[in-house]
Order: sequence, then structure tokens, then C-alpha cells
Amino acid sequence: MTPDPLNRLVAQLSKLPGIGEKTAQRLAFHILRAPDDYATELVAALQEVKSKVRLCTRCFSLTEGQLCGFCTDPRRDDRVLCVVEGIADLMALEKTREFKGRYHVLHGVLSPLEGIGPEQLRIQELLVRLEDGKVEEVIVATNPDVEGEATALYLMRLLKPMGIRVTRLAQGLPMGGDLEFADQATLARALSGRREL
Amino acid sequence: MDRWEDEALVLSTLDYGDADRLVTLLTRGRGKLTAFAAGARKSRRRFAGALEPGTLLRARLVERHGSTVRLDAVEVVHAFPHIREELPRIARALYALELCRELLRDEEPAPELLSLAVDWLGRLDAGEAGPTSVLAFELQALALAGLMPRFDACTLCGRPPGEAPRFDVDHGGAVCADCAPRATGPRIDPAVLEGLAAIQAGARQPLPPALRAEARGLLARFIEAQLGRRLKSVEFLRSVGVD
Ligand SMILES: [Zn+2]
Ligand SMILES: [Zn+2]
Repeated sequence: MTPDPLNRLVAQLSKLPGIGEKTAQRLAFHILRAPDDYATELVAALQEVKSKVRLCTRCFSLTEGQLCGFCTDPRRDDRVLCVVEGIADLMALEKTREFKGRYHVLHGVLSPLEGIGPEQLRIQELLVRLEDGKVEEVIVATNPDVEGEATALYLMRLLKPMGIRVTRLAQGLPMGGDLEFADQATLARALSGRREL
Repeated sequence: MDRWEDEALVLSTLDYGDADRLVTLLTRGRGKLTAFAAGARKSRRRFAGALEPGTLLRARLVERHGSTVRLDAVEVVHAFPHIREELPRIARALYALELCRELLRDEEPAPELLSLAVDWLGRLDAGEAGPTSVLAFELQALALAGLMPRFDACTLCGRPPGEAPRFDVDHGGAVCADCAPRATGPRIDPAVLEGLAAIQAGARQPLPPALRAEARGLLARFIEAQLGRRLKSVEFLRSVGVD
């Protein structure tokens, strides 16, 4: 019989995405064996993340204050705005160090089969943000799947009449990829999106 | 262990865990079934891009006794890529797929419905499917599922629906003024019933927008009553202003 506190910890850990019963047990044992400091710091970190991290009131990425670092950084370009589905996408784009504009996080995509419509996303907030006319180009960086495309087309329909240039991330072959092994859908996309040399 | 290959239309997908995906397929031989696609979200090589709603596949499937069918490998037969170019096309395609999914029971072969859906996706892809053809698709799909609503005659007495008909979803069709006390459901413009009866009979000329909107609402109520709940993509069509 395992002691109840241990069972409770395993139960909580196994609620995490991608963590099954076995992994939860391993993590719980690890925490149990680690020095006392570790558990104390883990608890503090968990509590802090819940009490201090919230959504930026402008772009809806994460922040400790009202506005996030991306929104307040004076070196970033106000004229270009990149719209992403989630925070993980923002992080991925940020890692490229190629993008110097601002962001807007939708927190989801239009999903007809799951009944997720425009009202459930941060689209109204995006429109309000664009009202001052500073943004000249919106880059729609949703995923290249059906839902991502639907979301991009929907945004296009709203933004074009506002006189804003709307662009979409290019889709095609992965860098260093091998044509021979590319899947059919990607290859077809790459072919239709070919460019002049 | 059973291994087979079949034509299969992806009706919907559901992410499962971090790497896998559950895929609901309409297969030619065995009808609707849900298959487990291991690694579908991580490995780009095996399934990449192919497991999206509305893709027609050649699928290799494996079934171990008593467990979920596994998707072993796929080849894209038709991806209908132009559907993704316009929001109304996407919305209509997904609506059709959801309707098929909900009309079918698991593992009951429905080759005609598969053909109907593939044909409809093909016409959406070619830009040949407008709003009236959504109604035509719905009526044909309902007919194949044995749920044909009646528009050309009163469902209670069989006489013509007349000038002041109602549409009663519980009785499955039009009801004349004389039978109205025995029916439920709102009054309906006789022209809507005529338009729907004509589409049912195979007419393909577009309905005027006002009639179309009323016909859509009527069919949505009928389908909701038959299925016992509203299709999620109906709400989506409305919220993005597509009919
Ligand atoms: Zn921000
Ligand atoms: Zn009657």
C-alpha cells in the first residue's frame, strides 16, 4: 500500500498533458527523494506562476504586469503585427530572431467541427487594436491546416476593408529537406507557391 | 489480426495525447470507423498533411481483435486543395462532413453517401457549389440515411400542403392547414416548400436568398430533431455569415 499523500501527488501529476500513470509515479518518487529545498521551490514556483502571470491586456501573450515585454519594447516595429494561434507559436517565431514587429495571440483557431467561432477568440480585441491605423501589415501565422486556413481567411475578410496589408506565412518544403521524401500535400503546396528566381 | 486497404474519406480528427490522433473515416467497405493514427502529429513522414477533414485517402488499416482500428499508412487520393482558398467553401465542406458523420452509425457500409460526399467536395473544390447546392446535398444525404422530409404533400393526410402550411419536424414534413391542430411547428411560406420539393426532385436552379435562408433554417431544425442535437458547424456557418 502506498501512502495517501503519495497517491494524491501521483493523481495530480497524471492530470498534466502527456503524463500517464507511470510517468506520474516516476516524477512523484523523484520529488520524494530530492532534497527538501526542491519541493519547497517547486511549490513556490507553481504558486507564483498562478498568482503573477496573466495575459497582456493588449496582445494577450503572457506578462507579469499590465503589458508584456513585446508590447512595451520601444525597439519593436509598430507597423507590423503578427497574429498567432497560441503562446507556443509566438515563442517559436521569437526564437528565429527574424521578426521585430508586435504580436497578437488569438488563443485558438476557428473550428467549425468543435463549434469554435470568432466570438471565442481574441478577434474583437484585434480589431480594436487596429483602429488607430498605426499597423500597416498583419502577418497571419496560423497553422497551415484547415482550421488555420479558415482563421486566416476570416481575418483577411475583416482586415482588407480596413486598408491593411494582410500576409500569410509561406508554406512549402522544410529547410534541408529531401524532395524525394516530402509528403504529397507539402510538395503540392510548395509547387503552387513557387517563386521567380 | 486483420489487415486491409480501402478508400476512406477523413470526416474529422481528434488530437490524442501529445503525438497521436484519432481519425474518423468514412470507408467504402466498412462505413464509418474511428482509427488510431500513432505519431500522426509528430512524424511528418507517415501521415503529414493527409489526416485532415475532407481528404480522400487510400488507407491501410489494421485491426487487432477487440481493439481500436489502427491506421497503418495512407496515400492521398484527393486533397481538394482549392476548398481551402475560400472561407465559404471550407465552412460548407466541414458542414457536409459533420452531417455525414452524424447521420452514420459505426461500421455500417454507406458507399452511396461516400460517393455523394466525394462528389460534393469535388464540386466545392472546382468552385461549382453555391448555397443552393448545400440544400441539395443535405436532402440527398438525408434520403440516403432514410430520413427524407416530405415537402410536396401533407405528412398527415397526404393532400397538397396548400396556401397556409406548417412544417412539423416531429411528423417529418409539411402539414396542411386542416391538419394543423394535430401538428406542431411554425407556419412556412409555401414557396419554400415548393423550392425544397423541386430540389428534392432534382432541380438545380438557385433559390432566391430569402427563400434559401428560410429553407436552411427549416432543414437545420429538421436535422436537429432527427439527430437529437444541433450540428456544431451550423453555428459556425452562421457566425461567419455563410449559408
Ligand atoms: Zn503584449
Ligand atoms: Zn393534411
